[in-house]
Amino acid sequence: MPATNPRRTTRRDVTRRDFLKRAGWTGAGMTALVVGAGRGRLSAQPAAYPEWIPASPKPAKRGGVLTRASAWDPPLIDPRLTQSVGLYQFAGLTSNRLVRYVFSDEASGPSDLGLKGDLAESWQSDSAHRVWTFKLRQGVKWQNVAPLNGRELTAADVKYCFEAYAKEGVQTFTFQEIEGMETPDKHTLRIHLRTPNTLFAQNLAEPIAIIFAREVLEEDGDLKKRLIGTGPYILKEHTRKVRVVLQRNPEYWDKGRPSIDEYVILSTPDDATRVAAFRTGQSDIIWRASLSDAEAIRKTNPAAVVQSFHNTLAPFGLALAQDRPPFNDVRVRRAISMAIDRQKQVDTVYEGHGIPGWGVPYIYYQDKAPTVKELGPWWQYRPEEAKKLLAEAGHGKGFETTLFYYEYFPQMTSQVQLVQQELKKNLNIDVKITKLDYTTYYGRYVDSKWDGMSWGFQSGHAIGLDERTYQYMHSKSPKNFFRVNDGIIDELTTKLRRAPDRAEQRAITKKIVDREFDQVLRMWMPYDNGFLVFQPHMRNVAAAALRRTDGYGSPTLARAWMDK
Amino acid sequence: MQKYVIRRLLLAVPVLLLSSLIVFGLMRVMPGDALIALMGESGNVGQKELAKLRKDLGLDRPYHEQYLLWLWQMVSFNPGDSIFTNEPIPVSLRKAIPVTLELATLAMIIGLVIAVPVGVLSATRQDKPSDYVGRVVAVSGLSIPDFWLGTLVITFSAIWVHWIPPIGYVSIWDSPWRNLQQFLLPAAVLGFRLSAATMRMTRSTVLETLREDYVRTAWAKGLAGRIVVYKHALKNALIPVVTIIGGQLGTLLAGTFVVEQIFALPGMGRLTVEAILYRDYPVVQTNVMLVAATLVTLNLIVDLTYAWLDPRIRYR
Repeated sequence: MPATNPRRTTRRDVTRRDFLKRAGWTGAGMTALVVGAGRGRLSAQPAAYPEWIPASPKPAKRGGVLTRASAWDPPLIDPRLTQSVGLYQFAGLTSNRLVRYVFSDEASGPSDLGLKGDLAESWQSDSAHRVWTFKLRQGVKWQNVAPLNGRELTAADVKYCFEAYAKEGVQTFTFQEIEGMETPDKHTLRIHLRTPNTLFAQNLAEPIAIIFAREVLEEDGDLKKRLIGTGPYILKEHTRKVRVVLQRNPEYWDKGRPSIDEYVILSTPDDATRVAAFRTGQSDIIWRASLSDAEAIRKTNPAAVVQSFHNTLAPFGLALAQDRPPFNDVRVRRAISMAIDRQKQVDTVYEGHGIPGWGVPYIYYQDKAPTVKELGPWWQYRPEEAKKLLAEAGHGKGFETTLFYYEYFPQMTSQVQLVQQELKKNLNIDVKITKLDYTTYYGRYVDSKWDGMSWGFQSGHAIGLDERTYQYMHSKSPKNFFRVNDGIIDELTTKLRRAPDRAEQRAITKKIVDREFDQVLRMWMPYDNGFLVFQPHMRNVAAAALRRTDGYGSPTLARAWMDK
Repeated sequence: MQKYVIRRLLLAVPVLLLSSLIVFGLMRVMPGDALIALMGESGNVGQKELAKLRKDLGLDRPYHEQYLLWLWQMVSFNPGDSIFTNEPIPVSLRKAIPVTLELATLAMIIGLVIAVPVGVLSATRQDKPSDYVGRVVAVSGLSIPDFWLGTLVITFSAIWVHWIPPIGYVSIWDSPWRNLQQFLLPAAVLGFRLSAATMRMTRSTVLETLREDYVRTAWAKGLAGRIVVYKHALKNALIPVVTIIGGQLGTLLAGTFVVEQIFALPGMGRLTVEAILYRDYPVVQTNVMLVAATLVTLNLIVDLTYAWLDPRIRYR
């Protein structure tokens, strides 16, 4: 019979002490369970994952559906208006460029930055590097979708596209370099530059320099709804916050390719869900920021293939308002740099798997990644010398400053806090940290009017040397977010654009980098390399330097196939 | 009754006006604006282009003008376009509302299916092991946040049963089975949280009702326990329960914001979260007003339900 006695008071079967004891044990048990399940064998020795996965020697199999749970969701698909990875995780598959970097199955290794013709069969510049001539492939057709309906691509299409890029949007900087263009015949495009640039072809190989259809722009007035190209995949569906569906282009000019029938990108904003999707086979590719994250996946999916992705640059660093005191004094910049223990960040924050930090990809000036020692005296952790140098600069008692940042990934907050502690401990510099949301951070950062410090960035899409030197460091460049204003850098970056010889380019780049390190113009911070994890049936998907397969390097998926 | 409804609807007008002022003000107080977000997404936009965009979107006008314009748009059911995606807001809402509605309805059903029987069971088995279990579950539901529970559920489903809901929303009309698979777990997460407070309230009100004289009379008449509890006690115990359910609708809608994010469902929550992050003023403002209007309406419905549950209640 139910207990309905109104006089009955609470029976104390469980005492407060018992309850607390049980709750404590339950809590501890749950914590152990969660930690154990999520992290895997943290104490285990890190597995040695390869830096490069060579192309499969077997002939490619046709068919299959490649799916990927993606954090990125493009708000618009107009390549004139965005450089967002959300768009370029697939735009390079619907559309081609004039030239491109080598794909995974052609590259000798992750640092292979060889150029290949994409829509262009061949290209050459005049001796002054101001006139570039591109010979287009014959018989390339636009996708068989209205209003293009598979018509042939001509040089006039490319000219129209480049003119549109120069006119408005985010690519104006590159394309306004063009003084004029001519099309002597249907398959030849001659480009006249305003100033010599030996690196112009590399700029056209950037993943964002895709060729779009003039008819769409003319009919719609923009490219926000339709993306039609000449690429290996046709955009069948783009439903924001749900999915992007790409279907194999049966009339692709590179006969027999692509191998995979369909590529589905599922919009998945939550990281835990992306991991779960990979674990359950709903996603074929996933990127993990840390070794323990990759290990955790391998624990449940032991057959998963992991590529240890070695970055050739650090995209983040301490940006100082170096156009005003106290940071306009090189001694202050050097002192701050010497007061920061970068190796500690690599060892603790990045579990020993990271780079100490530099801004220009090392592959452009040397063969191996620089060691901390090679970065020069101001990049070593020498707190006593830092203190002396700051005193020499007239700040012996330290000073107060501010630092704002946006947390691109969780490790970044730890880095910011470590820097704050070290500057206080070693130089008595009080740093007041403000963590901002992305919109506020970005607006303030690119406005370049802030005081103090910021956790600065350089954008992720750029592969070419010109982008990483002239465009990010020349004092007159709109992308000079670190506010570098150095006559020697201006001179060297301009000179680099006029150096045709590869060896000379390397030598000049080295000088630029040395100057940057010596003057501490951009104070790079350690960055993790990350890991790309693939389902075991994926072939020819390895990521190359600056070209992650799931991001700006997605065009390489034109050569991927599924062995199942 | 009619007078009461009209009075409540009239009272809703200042509430909605106040809500509109708050959301409009908050969006303007927040640092950064949609154009800066757009600039961030785009890579690099010149100051000249930025000024032009600002003018085109009317963001260069004084705040009071912007507010009045927006108010007029809302009243005329034409909230405009998203700044960020250029999509007309009614189109975005038509896509998002059914998702949230389905999620919220399923969550509510699951929540009630758990809460009421367990609450009654807890009350009728007071201080027995089943009561303790029910209470522990209720306290867990109250104290475990949705984002944590959602993350745990999706992580452990993947590890232990090697299954998670299929990602990539499909409408119930296109594929009911796949749609159900997609909604069941998120609805269970939301429903569990929702059930907690309702369960506790059901337990205490049923306990209280079971001590009433008329229930004792029912027992004395020799009625079966089930009849006494479910027919005589439960209906009378439900008024506070309904009140608490009404009050929880807000929590339920807030919960969808988190759960939709975790389970990749393209509902109102994701639409609003993204709009807030990108300072997409028109979308945020419209969504908040829509939620405010929904809550006002639902609360009115809850109040009207009292009369059905207890005929002694009269509306004046």
